[in-house]
Amino acid sequence: MAAAPTAKETRILFRNIDEPELASIRTYKELGGYQSIRKAFLEMAPEEVLKELEESGLRGRGGAGFSMGKKASFLPRGDMDKYLCCNADESEPGAFKDRELMQKNPHQLIEGIIIAARAAGANRCFIFIRGEYDLQGDILDQAVEEAYEAGFLGESVLDTGEQVELVVHRGAGAYICGEETALLDSLEGKRGNPRLKPPFPAVQGLYGGPTLINNVETLSNVPHIVGSGADWFKQFGTEQSPGTKVVSVSGDVRKPGNYEVELGIPTRELIEGLAGGTEERAIKCFFPGGSSAPVLTAEEGLDLPYSFEAMQEAGSMLGSGSIIVCDERTSIVQLALRTAKFYHHESCGKCTPCREGTNWTVKMLERMIRGEATPIDLETIASVQKNITGNCLCVLGDSMAAPVGSMVEKFRPEFEEALEKGVPSLNGRNGGARSGAAESKGRRARREAEHLTDAGRSR
Amino acid sequence: MSQPIRNAVTLVVDGREVVAPEGTMLVDAAKMGDIEIPVFCYEPKLGPPVGACRMCLVEIEGIPKLQTACSTPVRDGMVVYTQTDQVKEAQNAVVEFLLVNHPLDCPVCDKGGECPLQDIAMGWGPGKSRFTDPKRHYQKPLELSPLIAIDRERCILCYRCVRFSQEISEDEQLVLHERGDRSFVGTFDDRPYIAPFHGNVIELCPVGALTSYSYRFRARPWDIEQAGSICTLCPSQCNVAFTVRDERVMRVLARDNKAVDDGWLCDKGRFGYQMLSGSERITEPMVRAGDGSLSPVSWEEAIRMAADGLRKAGPRAAALAGGGTSNEEGFLAQGLMRDALGSGNLDSSPNAPDPQLLSELARPELAAKVSDLDYAGGILVLGADPLHEMPILDLRIRKAVRRNGTRLLVATERPSALDGGAATDAVRYAPGEAIAFIESLAGALGAEGYEASGRYAKDAAAIADALRAIPDSVIVWGERLWRRPGAVKALHDIARALQMHQRIGTGLLEVPEESNARGLREAGFLPETGPGYRTAAAGKGAVQIRDGLASGDLSALLLLGSDPVRNYPGGETWRRALASTFVVAFALTEDESAKHANIVFPAESHAEKEGVVTHPDGRLQRLRRNVPLPSGVRPTWWALAEIAEALGTNVDYGTPEDVFAALCAEVPFYGDTAYEEIGGRGLRWQERDPGSSWVPQPTGGGDGTGVPAYAPPEGEGLVLGTYKDIWAAEATRRNPSLRFLMPTQRLELSAKDAKTLDLANGDPVTVSADGSRLEARVSVRERMRPGAAFLIEGTETDNANLIATGEPRRITVERRPEPETNGSASGGGGNGRARVVATPMPAEGAR
Repeated sequence: MAAAPTAKETRILFRNIDEPELASIRTYKELGGYQSIRKAFLEMAPEEVLKELEESGLRGRGGAGFSMGKKASFLPRGDMDKYLCCNADESEPGAFKDRELMQKNPHQLIEGIIIAARAAGANRCFIFIRGEYDLQGDILDQAVEEAYEAGFLGESVLDTGEQVELVVHRGAGAYICGEETALLDSLEGKRGNPRLKPPFPAVQGLYGGPTLINNVETLSNVPHIVGSGADWFKQFGTEQSPGTKVVSVSGDVRKPGNYEVELGIPTRELIEGLAGGTEERAIKCFFPGGSSAPVLTAEEGLDLPYSFEAMQEAGSMLGSGSIIVCDERTSIVQLALRTAKFYHHESCGKCTPCREGTNWTVKMLERMIRGEATPIDLETIASVQKNITGNCLCVLGDSMAAPVGSMVEKFRPEFEEALEKGVPSLNGRNGGARSGAAESKGRRARREAEHLTDAGRSR
Repeated sequence: MSQPIRNAVTLVVDGREVVAPEGTMLVDAAKMGDIEIPVFCYEPKLGPPVGACRMCLVEIEGIPKLQTACSTPVRDGMVVYTQTDQVKEAQNAVVEFLLVNHPLDCPVCDKGGECPLQDIAMGWGPGKSRFTDPKRHYQKPLELSPLIAIDRERCILCYRCVRFSQEISEDEQLVLHERGDRSFVGTFDDRPYIAPFHGNVIELCPVGALTSYSYRFRARPWDIEQAGSICTLCPSQCNVAFTVRDERVMRVLARDNKAVDDGWLCDKGRFGYQMLSGSERITEPMVRAGDGSLSPVSWEEAIRMAADGLRKAGPRAAALAGGGTSNEEGFLAQGLMRDALGSGNLDSSPNAPDPQLLSELARPELAAKVSDLDYAGGILVLGADPLHEMPILDLRIRKAVRRNGTRLLVATERPSALDGGAATDAVRYAPGEAIAFIESLAGALGAEGYEASGRYAKDAAAIADALRAIPDSVIVWGERLWRRPGAVKALHDIARALQMHQRIGTGLLEVPEESNARGLREAGFLPETGPGYRTAAAGKGAVQIRDGLASGDLSALLLLGSDPVRNYPGGETWRRALASTFVVAFALTEDESAKHANIVFPAESHAEKEGVVTHPDGRLQRLRRNVPLPSGVRPTWWALAEIAEALGTNVDYGTPEDVFAALCAEVPFYGDTAYEEIGGRGLRWQERDPGSSWVPQPTGGGDGTGVPAYAPPEGEGLVLGTYKDIWAAEATRRNPSLRFLMPTQRLELSAKDAKTLDLANGDPVTVSADGSRLEARVSVRERMRPGAAFLIEGTETDNANLIATGEPRRITVERRPEPETNGSASGGGGNGRARVVATPMPAEGAR
């Protein structure tokens, strides 16, 4: 194994992340916090704030990578109720960066929200936080209260007469609510189902009003951009991916965790340097941007720059910036099943290809692992992924089809092998998988009964 | 808000040039070029598209991804392909996905043969599924409601039924539980889905997941015939199609007509067909013997006896017509009374409309049509509760509010289904005090001769401000306002003050008490008013007929589907009056009034009748015979003509069409309208010459002035109002499937009065007024005006009409002991409805 390359973090959002008490408004202010908000409200017109954000080239950190400033500029001007929603429903397997940002530095986010609200002309803001982030929700509640007390939120922010209200709303446990329009429906008290687009939320979002929706990390960048200027921000990263990125690295690495790096550094530095590499095992593949990104093999991906454009070019995506590393022990068929199961579980069921395609894929992969699949099934798995892709109401269906499709494509021999003998369990590592032959009759009957209960609720 | 003007745009679909209005969805535009794009979830009646099923994916030039045609509005120059390989692949994929969890039990499925899923799978599917794993299993069928079975395995999760419940009827009972492929349609806590419009979900369902218990396994599409007619069970006059097998009506479906019903039906209309072939139906003429028993006689004999009896009474005869009576029948009957008997004693309503005002209000320029509601800036619902009186109007009003932001104002004596949710303003006046409110409103709007003062001045001022601020308003008002003619006069003056006669899309829309009330008025079935609102010789109205019969001044009564004992105020007086009179009744079943008839003729049902009825907005609509007359039944129009002939008048009609022609000759605004012109969609006479320029001639009636000022009834106690409940009707009683909905009497009280009287929900009470009494249970309601109390008219027992006189009156309420609950008939205290609602659905098994 090659020696770990030199690797270092570039900390902007994480600048004082290890400071105890950073979550308190006192410490945050002592360390220079809530200065950008003064600049944005006292020295800059809303249009100037918006211009600064647009010029910074900041791209959304939630997955799609769309220009944040441009998105904010889509909101119509004029006097009407406008909304800003911070998407803190971080639920994708492999992603845990927002959790740390909110837990350790909530005021950075709140400051970012207030400034972004000014840029977009929104005065009602929400943080839609994943329900399971209980601790982080409490911390945000506390921080919001402090910000109100300090006069950064409320009817007159910094006595300027500008109103910005902020409410922390806890989700009820659905990955789909991280999809921006499902988030809006859920926030309105409805079933969290994605809406048809257009109209886009910037035109008709929460309660029918123009709405800006941004990820936690995106908004956490805002105080820095406004405080130090777009030009300063653009020094970091690449031309098309300016700034830094908090990357969650997990899987088969020695030091899983969040690392803030400049966009564009070699991916190898992240995996083998910062995260310490694998336990002397070869990397089979990795997800460069969360579980919805097509996997890249080590050869394909390790030497790519970690940037939006490079990952896209390689046929994958940077997504939310979450790297999941799988070493040589990993059964790709098991990985495909695990991935498909997640999306099957989380599909909202509104549109047909996603609802039935995820279900069907899971069933076929399960059979494959038991050694009960046929070569036709392998073709069908590939074809089903293709049939899902591009035909769904939102991106959840594609989020399964893309990684599973990439696994079938890149590791076809492994699937073909599974057709023959199934996938045996590897020291329990692959979730207790077993070959069809090894499974006792009784066990299989029990499992099928479980399956029925789970899927059909009929027993 | 007025209806948006839409320009035409040109696009190309599969090489064909198509012209469609701007904003049309691609699916609909393609149809204009004769190109079908398959859909499941798309249904414009349900509001904006949701794009859930993904069946309608098409290729649009310049857009890399396939787009859903249901949600893509057309643009000029758009080039669309619906047949390319990419599209076909997507269509095949979606059909295959839809069938992954569909059981394909078509041979035993009611929908088989008329199933969109079958059609689309055949037309756009791959023909074969690659899915080999076990499918989703549920217990099936489950009782979604006592009327609907749900098979969740067949469900393709298109969301249509849920959207109906959430966004059309707004009962919000149907929801999707769970997530992903585990999703299923149901209600909260498995409660039965009980709502007045819920049957529509059966028709919306594109598969066999929602089926009607009363139609399940009764017929296959190739066994049935289907034809259109009009439902005359209420004034909505919805356009329906009767499904007929072996000469029996097996099902009622909506026959979309935007101008009338928007494609919806209420459950009474949808499920109220079992009575048409029920055993209780009268199918031959009968004569009552001295001991009260009925025995059949021949038609000739019955006609002779009826003619003899009526001839004997001569000018002392009277006639009442019910809402199911067609214009032709009304016309013939009024001719029979006036020409053959010299009697002008005929009426079709207990509410005594003023002839002069009636014809004034019939002016085309003052009339609003149903579709005006869609884009009205505001709607004032005055003295009416559409849900109970004209149910489809309730949906129409909700639609205007939900989709077009119409402002809804409500002013009623009883809390209506519309306030509290859709309505922004709700005024509650005391029972009988509508006139006080309306006169204040007229004053607040500056109508001449009214003062903006009085008890309701403040409420009236608020409504007036709202109406003034909204240019195009429609006032939906209840027929009961006629009980004080001054009220309707003031309403008329309000319409003028709002310049309604000079604006398009505004006007008045009356909610009559009975289905064809308007048609009967136009045909002259009113005292003092002949066909076409022309002055006729004086005669007695309903109330005087009752008193005349009771006192012996009148000696014979002809009933055309009218049941005054049950439906008119003073039911007990009617009963006594009928008991001592020679009564000829045309009736479907032996109803409360027909029980006292000396001669009973079998009447035609609305599925059997040929004729014309008039919708409350002036639309002439044709009833057509969908099923043959039951053996022994003959057309009512023919019988009336025969009786008239036996009485010596010279009538010679071969068909109902001949009768209609004769009617048209007497009604100037009908002109020479022919049956063919009315067609399947109806025809508003106001929109056709000479009706469009019709001007009422002065008639003999008063002008509504000189009415004594209203004074609340003297004495102490709550003031009683009564109302019609949608389910307190003959159709509920005669249809086994609907019987569970028949309400038992309940006394509605405000929370304040309930507290004063120390009564709680469900407490049994005795309600009495001047010696008449009935039993009821207490129902404490929100938004009730303290001091008021309400009872339901037309219940099977303890009918409010036993107490009601048509005027507000004071009542005494006393708690009575809880009746024994051993299941025996316990007077009015039964709780049939409550029991059904409280019974949980059969459990689905351990969860």
